[in-house]
Parts: sequence; C-alpha cells; structure tokens
Amino acid sequence: MIRVTLDINGREHAAEVDPRMLLVEFVRRCAGLTGTHVGCDTSQCGACTVHLDGIAVKSCTVFAAQAEGHAVTTIEGVSPEHGLSPLQAAFKEHHALQCGFCTPGMIMSALDLIRRGAATDEDAVRAGLEGNLCRCTGYQNIVAAILAGAAAMAEG
Amino acid sequence: MYFGRRLRRREDDKFLKGRGRFVDDIEPAGTAHIAFVRSPHAHARIRSIDPAPARALPGVLRVLTAADWQAAGLGALTCVHPMPFSDGRPMNEALRPALASGKVHHVGDVVAAVVADDRYAALDGAEAIAVDYEALPAVTDIARSLDADAPILHERFASNLIFEIERGDRAATAAVFDAAHHTVALTLDTQRVAGSPLEPRAYLSAFDEATGDITLWATSQTPHYLRRWLAKYALHVPEHKLRVISPDVGGGFGLKCHFAVEVSTVVWASMLLGRPVKWTSTRAEALMSDAQARDHHTKARMAFDRDGRILALEIDTIAALGAYLSNFAPSIPGNSYPQTVTGLYTTPNLHLRVRGAYTNTVPIDAYRGSGRPEATFVNERLLENGARELGIDVAEIRRRNLIPADSFPYTTPVGRAYDCGDPPALFDKLLAIADYEGLRAEQRRLLRQGVRMGIGIACFLDKSGTGSSRNLASRGGLHGGYESAIVRVHSDGKATVFVGSHSHGQGHDTTFCQIAADRLGLPIEDIALVEGDTGSIPFGNGTWGSRSLSVGGVAIMRASDRVIDKARRLASHMLECAEEDLLYEDAAFSVRGTDRRLGFAEVADAAYHGAGLPPDGSMEPGLEETVFYEPPDTNDPQAMHLAVVLVEPRSGKVTVRDYFTADDCGNIVNPMIVEGQVVGGLAQGLGQALMERVVYDEGAAGQLFSGTLMDYALPRASDMPGVRMTFQETPAPSNPLGVKGGSETGTIGAPAAIGNAVVDALWDLGVRHVRQPYTPDAVWRALEEAAG
Repeated sequence: MIRVTLDINGREHAAEVDPRMLLVEFVRRCAGLTGTHVGCDTSQCGACTVHLDGIAVKSCTVFAAQAEGHAVTTIEGVSPEHGLSPLQAAFKEHHALQCGFCTPGMIMSALDLIRRGAATDEDAVRAGLEGNLCRCTGYQNIVAAILAGAAAMAEG
Repeated sequence: MYFGRRLRRREDDKFLKGRGRFVDDIEPAGTAHIAFVRSPHAHARIRSIDPAPARALPGVLRVLTAADWQAAGLGALTCVHPMPFSDGRPMNEALRPALASGKVHHVGDVVAAVVADDRYAALDGAEAIAVDYEALPAVTDIARSLDADAPILHERFASNLIFEIERGDRAATAAVFDAAHHTVALTLDTQRVAGSPLEPRAYLSAFDEATGDITLWATSQTPHYLRRWLAKYALHVPEHKLRVISPDVGGGFGLKCHFAVEVSTVVWASMLLGRPVKWTSTRAEALMSDAQARDHHTKARMAFDRDGRILALEIDTIAALGAYLSNFAPSIPGNSYPQTVTGLYTTPNLHLRVRGAYTNTVPIDAYRGSGRPEATFVNERLLENGARELGIDVAEIRRRNLIPADSFPYTTPVGRAYDCGDPPALFDKLLAIADYEGLRAEQRRLLRQGVRMGIGIACFLDKSGTGSSRNLASRGGLHGGYESAIVRVHSDGKATVFVGSHSHGQGHDTTFCQIAADRLGLPIEDIALVEGDTGSIPFGNGTWGSRSLSVGGVAIMRASDRVIDKARRLASHMLECAEEDLLYEDAAFSVRGTDRRLGFAEVADAAYHGAGLPPDGSMEPGLEETVFYEPPDTNDPQAMHLAVVLVEPRSGKVTVRDYFTADDCGNIVNPMIVEGQVVGGLAQGLGQALMERVVYDEGAAGQLFSGTLMDYALPRASDMPGVRMTFQETPAPSNPLGVKGGSETGTIGAPAAIGNAVVDALWDLGVRHVRQPYTPDAVWRALEEAAG
C-alpha cells in the first residue's frame, strides 16, 4: 500500500491505496466524486475524462500516484453550486444527453476542445470528440450543444 | 397542455453536474467485492477446479463454484418465452447456469466466483484459481451449426437444433415462385453484435441477517422481473423479502432486461457472508457475458410479377441463440421476425422456416429492434435487388407495393394485423425531405466525375407495446404485457407518480409527467416520478419493446383520471353541488355560473384530514389511485429511411454522407425526445451496418476476438452523418393516448438502407450483395468477387 495525496477540485484528498489504483478509482472511491465514470477498460470511451493541470486526460490511463503534484479537475469541479454552466445549459437546451452516463466525460472533453479553440464548426467538433463514445444520442445533439456552448462561453 | 411540447428534460441537471446515481456509485461501508473466473475456452470439459490457492490469499472471503450452488439446492436462470416446434414438441431447452458445471460452452462462461474484502483481492483470488480444462471442438459459425459433423453443445439433444418453426403456406408459395415473371435470391447474414450500453452492468446486494431483508441495487430495465426471477427460479427466496432498486441506468437497449448470469451469485454471496457484496462488470467481461444480438444466416427469395409487384417471399433462416437460452431469446426469431418480415408491402404469399441453433457463443437476447432489423434486412435487400433486375426505380417499386392507407387494419400472410398507418403518404414525405430526384441527378453527375454515390431506402414497421398478456401467452410468453401506475396526491395537492417501467435514458421523468400534469390539471413542477424500486412500486413489466409510453403512459393517464374523479366527488360534497355542475380547470373546481371555487390543493387537504368527507361513509380518505393497465393489443409504428453513401472502390471505404428518416409513431408527447430516440437508434443501426461485429474464430477453437472496444468498433461522432427527420402522426387505435413506440426504428432500418445504398453505388460493377458490416474489407471482397 502507498499513501497518495491528490489535489482534486482545489481540495486535498489523501488515502492509503494499492499502488495499481487508477486515478479514476481514486477519484470515485477515495474522494467520493462519482460523476467521473468508467465505461471501458481500454481508454476508448472517455467517460472517465478529467482535467490534469487543465488538460483533458482519461483518468483510467493514469495511476493515482502519478497525479500527485498535479491539479485534478472533475465534473464536480466545473459545475456551479447552483444551476448550470453555459456549456451544461447548452447540453440541456439541445437534448445532448439521454442516459447521462457519458455526459460528464463529454463535458470535460468539450471544455478542453473549447479551451483549445478547436470547437469551430461541426466537422471540427465531430473530429474533436474522437475519444468519447456515446451510445444513446447519435452525437447530433452533442455536436450542436458544444457549438452553442462555445458561442455562449465566448460571449462570456 | 404539455402534450406535444418540446419540454427540456427535468432529469438533465443531475447528470450534467455529475450527480447521477448509478449502481457503481453506491458502496455501503464494509462492502465485499466479487470477481468471476471465466472460461477461456469456447467448449471444454471441466476436469477440476482447485480453489485452495485463492482461499489462501489475504482478503479472500469465499470461493463459490457450481458444487456449492448445487449443494445449496439453488435453481437455474430462466427462459420466459419458449418456442415449441411447429408440430407442438417442446423446444430443446438448455438454460444458462449461474456457475458452469461439467462443461463450459462459451468463452466467458462463469466457472467460479471469488468474494474478497476489496476488488483487487477478489481479482487476485480469481487469478489464483486453477481450473483444469479438456478443450473440445467448438462451433461458432451459425451457418455450420446444424451440419451433421458440427460439435454438439448439449449432448442430451441429438444436434444443436433448439426449435424449428414454419409460417405461411409452403406449397402455395412454391407454386407462385414456379410461375413468377421474375425471382431474386440472396444468401444474407445479419451479423452478431454487442449492444454495449456505456454503463457496464453492476449489482450490489445487502443482506440484513436480523430481518432477513435483501436489498439489491441492479442495472435493470425490469426490476420487478429481476426480483421475480431471483426469487422464483434461482435463489428460492421469498419475494417480499427481496427489494430490487434500479437507480439511474446508463443505457440498456434491451440487454439490461435479461436475467444476467452474475446477479444471482452476487445476491447469494451477500446472504452467505451477511455483508454487502458488489460486482461491476469490466468492458471485457461485458463483451463475453452481456447477452448479444442478431446472428442470423438466411437464404431467401422474392417473386415478382412483370410490373414489380411482390408475389411471394420465401425465407429459410438459422438463428443462433448462443450457448444457452437467455430469457426472451427464442421469441426473437420465433415471433418478432416472422411477424414483421413482409414489412409494409402487400406481399400475398409467404413461406418462412426458422431454426434456432446453439453455438459456442454468448447467449443471444433482445437488443433494440430485436428481430425486426433481421426481418427488414431480408425484405428490403431482396426488394431493391429485384427492382434493379427488373429495371424499375427503387422508389417506384415501393409505390407499387406499399400497403394503402385504406387497407388498414391490414392482415399479413402470417395472420398478424397491423393497426393503422398511411405508408404511401409517409413515403412521399421521406422522398420530399431527401429530394430523391435531385439526389439521383447528383448521383449521375458525380459518377461522371468518378465519384460513386449510392442511394438506399428501407420501409418497415416496428412492433411495440407488447400486449395483451393473453396475446403474449398465446405465443409462448410466461410474462405479462400490462403496466402498473400509482398516482398519489399529497395533502398539499402535489403528486407523486409511481410506474412499473424504468427509464434508462428515454426521459420518462419528463414525458410521463407531461401526461400526468395534463390529466391532473397541475403544473408539471408539482409532479414527481418514481421508477425502479420494487419496494414502492406495484409489479411492473419494465421498459423494453418500446412499451413504456403506450402501456405505462396509459396506466398513468387512467390513474390520474381516477384521482380527478374522486377529487370531483369530494369537491361536489364540499361545495354542496351536483358533480355535473363542477368545472375543473387551472387546478380548481368551480360551480358553473357562480363564483364558488375550491382549489385542488384544498380538496387534497380535505381528503387527508378525513373529517370533512361525506358522513354516509361513501368515500374513503386519501387521494391516490392504482391502475394495472392491460393493453388490448400491440401497436405498429412505421418508418422509412433513405441513406446516401459514398463508396471508394479502390479502398472499399464507405461513408454515410446523408441520412433521412420518416417516422409514424402515432401521437407524439415530446418531439424533442422522440427525435433524440430516432437519431440515437440510428447510430446503433449505422454501427451494425458499417462496423460492429462480434468476431469469433470460426475454427474449432472458437476463440473470441472482439474482446475490448479496441476490437469491437462503436460509432463515433465522425462516423455519423447529419440526420434529417420528418414525422407523420397516425394515432394508434389500441390506446387512448394514440401513441406508439418510437425508439427502435433507427436501429431497424439502417442496416437495410445503408446496405441497399452500398449495392446501389456498385451495381454497375456487378456487385449484388456485400457482407455486413460494410467495412473496407467486405466491400473490397465483394468487388473482387464481382470482377471474377
């Protein structure tokens, strides 16, 4: 067992863990932040996407211990206490979620796309979502929501 | 009125903020974890299992095998929709064992379970168990499953045959073929796919030794079925001591209906250990244990007259049902498939033979579409090949064959009556939004530039609502087709609706409350919905077969109406007037022609105070009603698709450029949600058409190759075209809401429409059929074959 201390959403979380523990398991089980999900074992689905120092990563491909010294941000960390962020509101407005399981990962990836200025048009957003699977929506409304969310965030 | 409005979903906020509550999010203190030992062989005899090394590991609490299961006198999983042979003999039934005994029959078959203090210890324990296997030859290829020399899975049967049914008239159909102007024949496979909802299945069971109560949190579309099956068939525990809670469910598409192989062991382990026990599937386990779908091998012919009118359809299908029979499996090729195989055409003669067969593969069960995609694929591929051979445009040949509106209710050659519709009008709508003539002109123009564009169409019907229970039973069903609802008005006049269906993404919290709000005359904010808890909801048949709205929705409507009836009686007593003189609007009763009013909340308050009820005892206190609604029949949604593809002959690459859909799913409660269902279903249909395929080694080893999402391809955003939709609303006659199922058509039609489009693009090169999925490899092979 090793002791891991992580900065998640600006708060410190410490735990004695098995060295093989993945960041996603630490986030879910040790920090109790269950908005980050596990949909596959092979980094195909993106449901586990979090930000590591502001950059989107799949938390199922990072050991918890590797995240020490870095700032981890999860879906809970980008959600306002009350109401929805502009991107979340766009997802709701455009019916961009059905079962909601992939949604936190989609939001985290979309925020990264928007931050990088890559959410410019439909084709760019479709290409930019390469690492995120949704089995419910057929993506059409997710793409529309990300474009609308990017515009709303640009207006600030 | 909320009916018909694009209300944004009430359930969205929690998911958007990461506050959904899925089974794996729940973990009481002291939870132990299970890991399963699974067969690496497709077919093998188990010589021995040595659990000792696992038991010696730190943290391991218990190892369970078939021997323990049998010693405990536990039962088996169940098949609730058997399919007898056409001559009445019972099918050859081999049920899925919770823990395999004697032999394993597919890669992933569960051999042992290890319960440990944490997940890592359980996984280490599973690794440590030594199982000695004697590998046996396997058969995974459905086309070979009934060959005389095929390895037999279950030796007590003489072959791998499960059942054989015939529908229609063999001799009459053969005679029509002999005399027909033109016939077309194809051998086609609808390949095996894995439904793959993004949330893996998970079960958490807690046992309270003091009370004997078991609480199971399960990823289930059908929590009441799961409770009944566990209680009645597997564990023999009393139903009233078992509570099944299905919290938020991350997609299901059918495969979270089924009595999964792992759940009984999780519950049993929690009872043995007296502490909570949990199992969450990995994706690799999902791909070797979740029920899979389709897997048909078919030889079929269609006969035409000189004008392109369909005269007859003849089908011979082998349907793989996997290594064991899962719950509904026999009914898919045995009922859904024959009942929809002539689609929306006036095909007068049909002969169909279906043989169900065991193969060394994961059991098959219902997955979105369930029999209709397989049926539509056969019917539509034959029709378009026939049209081209006859030199008739594929749109024109459909106009000549579509069932006219005035022929409804329309009875098919298998005796099934379609309820209502206007297929020719729906077809016109489809061609209009697609600009069919414009597309054909573009196709000719592009071909001159060396670009191969293909246009493919599919017209078909769904079969939704699954009723009545008597109808289901007449076709072999051992489960009901009704749905339950409670509408409970609280003393402040706000209401909670309990319903036996269960949303796993369909937006019930919005749609169902739209209906309840309309019937109760209340703002939707005053209504809450409860689903997925057997502890608070009367027995329900759950969510599958597009039944939630047309069955559960009507139960809610009726319960709401009864609540208002009672409130009206109480209001007439309180206002001292006749019921007929009362007007109910804006959540208040008023006496016509007066200013006397009574708010609904005041009536509710009086109902719960009780003192102001009629002194003659004619009315009970409280304001809630329970309805069990039995639908008189199924309903028949209809849809039509047009796909535009680009095919690169040198690489074989297929791109779906545009996609158009026209749906008639009856009256629409929330168009936004229905459109979402159409596009979402389409993504799964497109996946089947272009990339999804469960791949087994077709040799004697029968190894599973598509074991992760790196090998099993799911559609991504860039694979999907923009989808344009249109709708026609023909109210269903069998329910008072006039609604039909609206969530499966995308999955049903896409393989046929895209398949037709690919063949259209390559017809002049001699291609008559491409093996699905239309990967570059499959297209390239078809071109090579056509080139001779």
